Amino acid sequence: MSATKTFLLELHCEEIPARFLTPLTEEFARAFAAWVQSQGLASAALETFYSPRKLAWRGVGLPASQPDQTETQVGPPQRMCMGEDGQPTIQGLKFAEKWGVDFSAVRFEQPAGKKEPCAVLTLTKQGRPTVELLAEALPGLIAGLHVPKAMRWGNSEFEFVRPIRNILCLFGEQVVPITVDGVAATDSTWGHRLHHRQHPEPVQIATPGAYEAALEAAGIVVGVETRRTRIAQQLETLAAEVGGRVVADAELLDTLAEIVEFPKIVRGEFPADFLELPKEVLVTSLREHQKSFCIEGPDGALLPCFLTAANRTDDPAGFVKAGNEWVLKARLYDARFFFAEDRKRPLSDRLEKLQALTFQRELGSYHDKTGRVVALTKALATQLSKDDEHIDRALEAARMAKCDLRTLMVGEFPELQGVMGGEYLRHEGAHEEVWMAVKEHYRPVGADDALPGTPMGCLLSLCDKLDTVAGCFAVGLIPTGSKDPLALRRAGQGLVRILWERGWAFTPADLIATALRVVGAKATKAEAETTEALLAFFKDRVAYQLELAGYAGSVRRSALAAGWEDLADLKARCEALSAFAEDARFASLAQSAKRIGNILKDEIPSGAFDSALLTQGEEKVLAEHLGRLEATGDQKALLAALADLAAPLEAFFTAVMVKCEDPALRSARLSLLHRLRQAFLRVADFSLWQ
Amino acid sequence: MHIQELILRLQRFWADRGCLIGQPYDLEKGAGTMNPLTFFGALGSRPWNVAYVEPSRRPADGRYGENPFRVYKHLQFQVILKPSPAKVQDLYIESLEALGIDLSKHDLRFEEDNWESPSLGAWGVGWQVVLDGMEISQFTYFQQVGGLDCRPVSAELTYGIERICMFLGGYDNIFDLVHGEVRTDDGVFPVTYGQMRQREEFELSAYSFEHADIDLHRTLFDAFEKEGWRLLKDQGHFLSAYEQALKMSHTFNVLDARGAVSTTERPGIIKRVRDLACGCAKAYLEHQEGAAAPAEATGKGGAK
Repeated sequence: MSATKTFLLELHCEEIPARFLTPLTEEFARAFAAWVQSQGLASAALETFYSPRKLAWRGVGLPASQPDQTETQVGPPQRMCMGEDGQPTIQGLKFAEKWGVDFSAVRFEQPAGKKEPCAVLTLTKQGRPTVELLAEALPGLIAGLHVPKAMRWGNSEFEFVRPIRNILCLFGEQVVPITVDGVAATDSTWGHRLHHRQHPEPVQIATPGAYEAALEAAGIVVGVETRRTRIAQQLETLAAEVGGRVVADAELLDTLAEIVEFPKIVRGEFPADFLELPKEVLVTSLREHQKSFCIEGPDGALLPCFLTAANRTDDPAGFVKAGNEWVLKARLYDARFFFAEDRKRPLSDRLEKLQALTFQRELGSYHDKTGRVVALTKALATQLSKDDEHIDRALEAARMAKCDLRTLMVGEFPELQGVMGGEYLRHEGAHEEVWMAVKEHYRPVGADDALPGTPMGCLLSLCDKLDTVAGCFAVGLIPTGSKDPLALRRAGQGLVRILWERGWAFTPADLIATALRVVGAKATKAEAETTEALLAFFKDRVAYQLELAGYAGSVRRSALAAGWEDLADLKARCEALSAFAEDARFASLAQSAKRIGNILKDEIPSGAFDSALLTQGEEKVLAEHLGRLEATGDQKALLAALADLAAPLEAFFTAVMVKCEDPALRSARLSLLHRLRQAFLRVADFSLWQ
Repeated sequence: MHIQELILRLQRFWADRGCLIGQPYDLEKGAGTMNPLTFFGALGSRPWNVAYVEPSRRPADGRYGENPFRVYKHLQFQVILKPSPAKVQDLYIESLEALGIDLSKHDLRFEEDNWESPSLGAWGVGWQVVLDGMEISQFTYFQQVGGLDCRPVSAELTYGIERICMFLGGYDNIFDLVHGEVRTDDGVFPVTYGQMRQREEFELSAYSFEHADIDLHRTLFDAFEKEGWRLLKDQGHFLSAYEQALKMSHTFNVLDARGAVSTTERPGIIKRVRDLACGCAKAYLEHQEGAAAPAEATGKGGAK
């Protein structure tokens, strides 16, 4: 066992886009691990580091050289290698020569699979120094990294994510002599730009273990987790200093940790009169334009402050704070201009302009879409409410829903769609139901997002999503595999979640029929085909909804198989099944249900049965139970009745021979079981349990 | 700092580092990249360093001279370095220091921002350079121009002149910037950006949003296109043909600001500009590489 050493590689580049940092470090780590294994060099996993200008990896416990390997070479048969005189033949000598050994090393034995003794050599292949292997392999591993948006620079044909300007590569204390695109590896690297400008000499890294500390001294925190933790702490402290808390945004926190080499959070202020802008506008503008966090007070209202990250240790002259404040003011001035300009005319003025905004080529403009959403809202709202004024308000919300797409603010911040429409309607004095519905009708945006807070918002969201999904299916835009460019699955999931959580009694089949009627002549596919595809699509969404709701696999499978279109009923059955699965009688019942399934497998039992034909006590008891089961309406009572059936069923199977000689009796027993199974299937298909 | 002082310092800085100082091209355009000094200069193998100011028109950005931050026409300072030097980022940072920016007191970042000009068939990768939260420059390694691969690759640096001036001086209104001082026998008269340009902003915004004749511009667009292809195909004249492509591009921008271009129509119109620009690029390269070998380096070193 040879001594082990630590390996360190750092590619120092011009600023690498944040989104590529994690994929690149991870991909190299995987490729390196595979290479280490292929060379017989055991090693612990690579540690990875990155900052905007650095990609780095460190592996401990790499042996200083490959272990020696022995291998056996089999040559020609003994009779061809040795002459009758006991001297080696030409052929024998050539075999030894081929492997670079003296003939005396050749021995004769019969290897497995050979019919006679042959010349055999045991060769020892000496392991090579790891540093040599690294020097040979690393340039290829680096060049082989998959870079999604690769670039060239200068005169070179080499492609990488950004120009490589320095390579640090150590094995123990020794430099691994590699060259990539003309850059030769050294035992040094560069610190933070500011450090670099004050200290023109590169930073020496004496040993791989000294890497992070040496860089921190040169102004770089090279571990992303450390940077993220420090940022989070500073954010919290600085927000608390002004009596508020940070408006959380995990994605923004990740971004900040990826775009600085040394994180320093700076708190700035903006003029308080900008607080008249809607909160969403401020949060979005600060995030999108300035990568800044907002601070909210105890009442949830924003404070006129923001927090952003600087890429340095301090702000000695206050320039960073002042600069960010200046830029933010310019941005908010723009936002206020949009907000004022947009409100000069009522939102409804944009309705006609939606004609020039394409929703989808075959399905027409957003004006066309609005027409369809209004029609759907009308069809569904009249089923939910008899209040004409309420229905009129729902239709008004549907008409206004997409108008904000033509406002300046949404042009600038597309993610504020819906929110701005709602805000503008509120300022116009629209009914609260209407503006709330418009504001929230894109929700839920994802699985973590809440539903619209009002029933009308949910209805509008449902109609909008239904039109999108059904419309796209009707023109052949159906998601396949990983391809879902229009995010129809997400829309469909949102739709199902609304039905599920609101408990509305619309069935997917009804919704599909209504939506396709509204899509009408724009459809390019046959209606039957589209309906079938949509039913399968919604069944998948419903199945996923059950998963999201946290039901066990056996509950989901067996409940779904007994019907999925009535969501309220499905929910009740899943709830009841989940509770009942803990009941001791359940296992016995499920077992009996499976047994019934087996017995009936090749039978065509009659639906009608005559209980007078039954002879044994156990089966008569069962027939009485059946009567009660079939008379039971709700799922919970039905499951209770099924639970009571466990013991009688067990007794039945113990005492009664179903397939008896008497054809009439046999037929009656099969019919009894058949009817029982029908009753079971009202809740679940137990044959799919486990 | 006065606007003209900033321009003079940048010109001096880059001239001292081996750049030709070019001039704006006398046709309307949206960005300095469209100047033939860049569009054609970035093509082919000949070494090429050039720097110049380019007035750039964005009709849709017009705000009638009322918005303190946004204008119809702004000034870009454009630098092309071909091939891109190994220390190009350091050179750029030194140019900021030449403007009096003490980087030991500021936060400077290079944030991903990949540039693309669909109407020029051009794209590159690079950054927006952010100083204390403010975008002050665009930094691009050209990968393609006119639909052709750039070999070698040029670095393009674009400074937003008004922005930098406002930022350095802490101005809250672009029209308060001082362009320079007029000295006469009667005294010294500072001239503001507003005095020089505010009325122009008003009239050109009004033109782009209200008065531009849509039918005329549609006719012009078609006519420029026809003229361009005639020059390119019949005469093999890529420079005069390229001028027609620039005119098409500006005409499109006016139509767009006027709200006369639908979303569905837009990609098709941009493609028509791109096709002509790409045709010019191809003809230029055939002419250039066929007729002249790359200039010999004298060995004294330039921006490298």
